[in-house]
Amino acid sequence: MAKIQILPNILFALLLVILATTAGAGLPIHLMVLALAIHLVYLLRYVLAGDASTKTSSGDVAAILYVFFLIWYLTTGPFAILDKMLFPKPEDVLKLFVAELPDMLKGLVNSLILLVGGYLLALVTGIPLGLLVGWRVRLFKAVNPITKVLGPIPPIVYIPYAIALLPSFRAASIFVIFIGAFWPIFINTVHGVFNIPKGLVDSARVLNLREGTLLYRVILPGAMPSICTGATLALVFSLVLLAAAELIGANSGIGWYVKNFADFADYQRVIVGIIFISIVVTTITWGTERIERRLLRWRN
Amino acid sequence: MHEIALTNISYAYSQQAVLEDINFTAAAGEFVCLLGPSGCGKSTLLRLLAGLAAPSSGTITLDGKPISGPGLDRGVVFQDYSLFPWMTAGQNVVLALEQAFPDRPKAKLRETAQSYLEMVGLNGVFHKLPGALSGGMRQRAAIARAFAINSPVLLMDEPFGALDAITRARLQDLLLQLWQQNAAERKTVFFVTHDVEEAILLASRVVVMGLNPGSVRGIFPVDIPRPRQRQSLYSDSSFLTLRDRLIAELHADVLDELDEGRTIRTAGEGI
Repeated sequence: MAKIQILPNILFALLLVILATTAGAGLPIHLMVLALAIHLVYLLRYVLAGDASTKTSSGDVAAILYVFFLIWYLTTGPFAILDKMLFPKPEDVLKLFVAELPDMLKGLVNSLILLVGGYLLALVTGIPLGLLVGWRVRLFKAVNPITKVLGPIPPIVYIPYAIALLPSFRAASIFVIFIGAFWPIFINTVHGVFNIPKGLVDSARVLNLREGTLLYRVILPGAMPSICTGATLALVFSLVLLAAAELIGANSGIGWYVKNFADFADYQRVIVGIIFISIVVTTITWGTERIERRLLRWRN
Repeated sequence: MHEIALTNISYAYSQQAVLEDINFTAAAGEFVCLLGPSGCGKSTLLRLLAGLAAPSSGTITLDGKPISGPGLDRGVVFQDYSLFPWMTAGQNVVLALEQAFPDRPKAKLRETAQSYLEMVGLNGVFHKLPGALSGGMRQRAAIARAFAINSPVLLMDEPFGALDAITRARLQDLLLQLWQQNAAERKTVFFVTHDVEEAILLASRVVVMGLNPGSVRGIFPVDIPRPRQRQSLYSDSSFLTLRDRLIAELHADVLDELDEGRTIRTAGEGI
């Protein structure tokens, strides 16, 4: 067992001492619990990590977090040098976060319907079409000029038209997210097919595979690295478009939450909303990374 | 009867003549090595045999029927990329078996795949991805697949070109052993190589190809009796005579190609 790391432990202790001694009447319980949770996670990682560099880096991350909370606490609490309305205290934000969680989760469901709807639609159309267009030269030559014109249009510009065109806000949002996610998935799938080593295609051809079998068992997995790149990019676009759509027309959802309370200058809730969104996005990214690693297991 | 006849084969790629006027007939069960320097079109010729490309003129026939595209009557082993890296070794063989024997139940095919993998000395790799196998093991699996589909013709494009000397020797022995195993149904083999000794060790006949454009420079029967012993081969006088003939034949072309560098090309080196 390596020696105990000094920096994160010292900072943790310092944070707790400062919180306990400067708070006066009401102890910032939420902030203390959060610091404790961070430290527990850090200690767990420290003990479980196999190599020294993981131990060091998890300590460094914890240290950065403690410094951040320390500065936030000191500049808004004891020294109060920041504007009170724009920079609420960490303890207030955390308390409000817990209180608002049920409402935000309800909003999240509405947001996820839009996100998953548009994104899945893009996956199930973009990948098969991309495979077909990438595989058949004539089709590619016919479609490529169109792709070059339509692909780069920023999907945000479709939002007002989609809202006018489609019967509901939900349909319009799904449509816009679909458009935004479709092009990166489609284009990367096409390029993924192009980048399959020629030798692999020859190997498939000498086996005399039916076209369907060939596309599903050789071209699809061969293009998968590039498809994953496109799908990740598309997910980022989808999240941006989701937020944009909700800022414009929603009456619920995680993006709407932030926009709504910003209109009322309730920046405490704005910050709570942003923190919640960051947690949601991190969770989604973590999940997709795991799926990607599984799909591309064969590369290592 | 799996005779392969090439008649007046020419092949051009974007106005550039790659092969010109190739005439050759491989008898059923013959082991033919296509020997030549890089760029002589020997791999192209193998692609034509595999049906991956069509000759610009001339015909290739298998048992009298013209070859018009890829087919499972010809098993092919390439230098790389023979196996799909996202399928396990077993799945790779099973995929080929599914094409060759679409009516057999999947479980039976898996058994067959397993037994062919064991036949080439690969035990316990059925569930391993190609990335987890050595280069030699991957080529063994590719050979297992080629033999599993039971095609009368085997086409190999420098299959051992990327392997170290010992692995290469082992795989040469394995290939000969498998080829000789069943005298009644012996496969007709086309084997592309640039290694003179490999060609003599394996072949019934060596077709030496020349450069610019690719053409047949000479056809040399190898009369050394089988099974050939690697150890005694190198002191066998007919081996040495033939080796010198083939090297001279190869060099004549290469030296025409190169103005300098006459001294650095030595016997038996891959050119």
